[in-house]
Amino acid sequence: MRATGNGTGTTGAVTPAPGLAGSLLLPRGRRGAELIMLTFSIGVVLFAYANVGLGLNGHVPTGLATYGVLFAVLMLGAHLAIRKLAPWADPLLLPLAALLNGLGLVMIYRLQESGRHGNPGNAISTMSASTTTFQLMWSAIGVIAFVAVLLVIREPRTLQRYTYTLGAIGLVLLALPALLPNSISEVPGTGAKIQIALGGFSIQPEEFAKLALAVFFAGYLVAKRDVLALAGRHILGIALPRARDMGPVLIAWGASLLVLVFESDIGTSALFFGLFLIMLYIATQRTSWLLIGTSLFLVGAWAASKLVAHVGVRFAIWLHPTLFNNVFCGSPGVHGSCVPSYQLAQGLYGLGFGGVLGTGLGHGQPYLTPLVQSDFIITAFGEELGLTGLMALLLIYGLIVQRGLRAAIAVRDPFSKLLAGGLAFVVALQVFVIVGGVTQLIPLTGITTPFLSQGGSSLVASWMLIALLMRISDTARRPAPQPIQDEGMTQVVRAI
Amino acid sequence: MNHALRRVSFACLAMFLLLLANANYVQGFESGKLAGDPGNGRTFALQYQYQRGSIITADNQPIAESKHIGGVYSYQRSYPSGPAYAPVTGYDTPYRKTGIEGAEDRLLAGTDPRLAVRNLIDLVTGKPRRGATVQLTINSAAQQAAYKALKASGMPSAAVAIDPRTGAILALASYPSFNPNKLATLNGTALNKADQKYLSSPQQPLLNRAINETFPPGSTFKIVTGSTAFSTGKYTPDSRYYAPTNLKLPGTTNQLINFDNTPCNDGSNPSGNGTVPLIYAFAVSCNTVYGGLGEHLGGAKLRRQANAFGMNRPLRIPLPVSPSNYPPVSNPDYTAYSAIGQYNDTVTPLQEAMFAAAIANHGTLMRPYLVQKVIAPNLTPLVTTQPSVLSQAVTPGVATDVGRMMFDVVNQPWGTAHDIAPDLPGIKVAAKTGTAQNGANNTGLDDAVFTSFAPYGNPQIAVGVVVKGGGLGADASAPIAVQIIKAYMNYLHSSPKR
Repeated sequence: MRATGNGTGTTGAVTPAPGLAGSLLLPRGRRGAELIMLTFSIGVVLFAYANVGLGLNGHVPTGLATYGVLFAVLMLGAHLAIRKLAPWADPLLLPLAALLNGLGLVMIYRLQESGRHGNPGNAISTMSASTTTFQLMWSAIGVIAFVAVLLVIREPRTLQRYTYTLGAIGLVLLALPALLPNSISEVPGTGAKIQIALGGFSIQPEEFAKLALAVFFAGYLVAKRDVLALAGRHILGIALPRARDMGPVLIAWGASLLVLVFESDIGTSALFFGLFLIMLYIATQRTSWLLIGTSLFLVGAWAASKLVAHVGVRFAIWLHPTLFNNVFCGSPGVHGSCVPSYQLAQGLYGLGFGGVLGTGLGHGQPYLTPLVQSDFIITAFGEELGLTGLMALLLIYGLIVQRGLRAAIAVRDPFSKLLAGGLAFVVALQVFVIVGGVTQLIPLTGITTPFLSQGGSSLVASWMLIALLMRISDTARRPAPQPIQDEGMTQVVRAI
Repeated sequence: MNHALRRVSFACLAMFLLLLANANYVQGFESGKLAGDPGNGRTFALQYQYQRGSIITADNQPIAESKHIGGVYSYQRSYPSGPAYAPVTGYDTPYRKTGIEGAEDRLLAGTDPRLAVRNLIDLVTGKPRRGATVQLTINSAAQQAAYKALKASGMPSAAVAIDPRTGAILALASYPSFNPNKLATLNGTALNKADQKYLSSPQQPLLNRAINETFPPGSTFKIVTGSTAFSTGKYTPDSRYYAPTNLKLPGTTNQLINFDNTPCNDGSNPSGNGTVPLIYAFAVSCNTVYGGLGEHLGGAKLRRQANAFGMNRPLRIPLPVSPSNYPPVSNPDYTAYSAIGQYNDTVTPLQEAMFAAAIANHGTLMRPYLVQKVIAPNLTPLVTTQPSVLSQAVTPGVATDVGRMMFDVVNQPWGTAHDIAPDLPGIKVAAKTGTAQNGANNTGLDDAVFTSFAPYGNPQIAVGVVVKGGGLGADASAPIAVQIIKAYMNYLHSSPKR
């Protein structure tokens, strides 16, 4: 496909005819619709929260009023901030994010309560009795970050000025855990070096690196896209880039492999490389980049599965997670070759146990799956809400991605377009990698489930990502300014 | 860029469709398979939310039952007099299911398709699912006597009693045993600890010696050699056969000797160079006579006869039984050894009982079985085992001849098991003893082997006993068989129903 930018708005200088955009395409901000949907989201969350208590011990949880009011206040606060800061933004994103965040809180509460206060099940040792409170606090920080992003970034294009600054910050955040000693950066029991833990408080910098690097890729690719798109030869109908233009791809590939080797984290590696590739493709519209990039990643992953034991084991687990030997690998009486697939197998058993309609909140045994509150939280939903609930969650994610891509298509300026496209895709890819991993569609790689998993960094970064998408959609949907006079030569041009 | 963005949208759509399709596959179609997975702790815990069926003996004694305790795991499995019945009941953990708990798991759990209609009715009427009751052929008097006697021996040992007319297993005991109650815990740590302790114990308490360990049969194999000889029609128990003090084996410098290296002398063979009747050689257990006889008959004939007694093949009762072996004799020089139950011959204690059972039942070997019937929760019988013939071991005439020889073992003053005769007043027992050499160059202690049936005229029970390292079969194993026979005959006399 030859890319010329004709008629696609990529030149970035097209000013639509006055009144046209406003009257035909995007008439209103639809904040009222947002409020109604948000109320509905809050209602679903409160209902689910009450349901957990009723399912576990037949009583409505005592914290319902406190938690419920705090959560509702947070979300309504976000709504009010949007009315003030981004009145034209997409009305669906906030209710969807609120629903996911709320359901995540509900499931974390359900898991925390298991085996505690006389409830059925085993207590999950990796959770404390105040985990939900912490998660609610992180939600508050997330909403504050969400508002802060909307407040600070009034125009998405301003971010383009900080392309290289943010690129450097992103790389540092990404590389930091690898450089720190294992005692600080290793997630206990997983072998993955992806966090910074100090005094019982940990953050995963890669979650923020994801946002910084998305901005960097957008800025860099907008600047270089013409040379990446146009130069080169055609072989077998595929436009191949020049060798010297391969540089950025190779650097991104190298960086993702370094993440893989030094942090033993194939999920993050795949996420970043995928983000870069898709943004490169959006910028240049050249399929050859996708083919080159995907082949490079597959070669890298294959080599890693041979060289890095951690990665190789993951692959073996994927093939036979529920083999008896594997499930009880290391248990007395289980001999012969085995790979430890206990966690994946328990997740799958949970999904199967839930079946189509699920056991109902509080009636399943999700606590049998190790670390179910983080990477495997989707299996807890699958077990207690069933296939029905799991599909509903996937559709919510799908809608977020769709709204993000819609903003990308609607926005005029190429930087914002690329950024929105990249951010929307990274949500889709992250959901695909983790949900596909725990449902045995692809080899499991531990990354967080956006908004649902326990943990602050992912939640805050997800809220910031939603803020960026809303800011871009606000720009896209904002009607062009009306001319001051009906006749005459003067026309207002918005300052950039 | 919008063109590329649209394509990316399609890629995202494809990713979500893949996730949705896969979720449907896992939760909609795979859930049954996942539920049946042996490592699935969820379904394992689920089974404790329903009442698992009981396992009861033929005389209605519960030996495994689920009691209501409340909580998430509503039912606790318990095994009254656990160690005595452990080889029969087995145990049920996420790691393994053994014994009847394993073999009849689906009926006990209530998931068997044969219970599907009743489950559906229960679902509609709002009753919880319940498992079926499995009634065994085990007689509690015989089983308790067997375990008590084995335990008293203090040595690794096993005993099996069969009703020779049907093949119903009346007792199946093994020592050292284990306590299945310790493995019926829902506390993962305690379970793991108990499991590890049993697995790593050098006494191997989890090993079911009655059906899963084999021992050299020793002189009890002379039943097979004798049967082979009589089946040719050329011999009767009164045929006289060459009885040397030492039998030189062809092709080797080895010699076969009698126990204590004495001549086989019924009074007519003091020099150890003449002949004795086969029935006399059987009763005093002359190795040289039966060794020579077996060598003369040949390994192939002996193997055919061994097969007819149920050897050389696995069985399910429904617990899996290790095959008893009489492998083809690779070197004919050793046929004489194999004919007296040494060399490569190995048998399970169950096989020992089957030798006597076949002879007791006029040569017809009934298929051994443990499950009498399965009773659905609404008390209707679901499955009832009909006795069936496993093989025709020997003709009724040969069975009578061999039975007569076994009778002499106990009831003639010169018989090797004559000492037990006074222990069973009023009951005539027929038997064969065995004292099997063991280990490289016979350095191990001798295994004491015993096979028997009673009463002689009207056989109701056949018993096989092996005591590992017990020494003389007549001394170590025979008294155990006596205890079992006595307990069972007493039960029959005192029970009004039989």
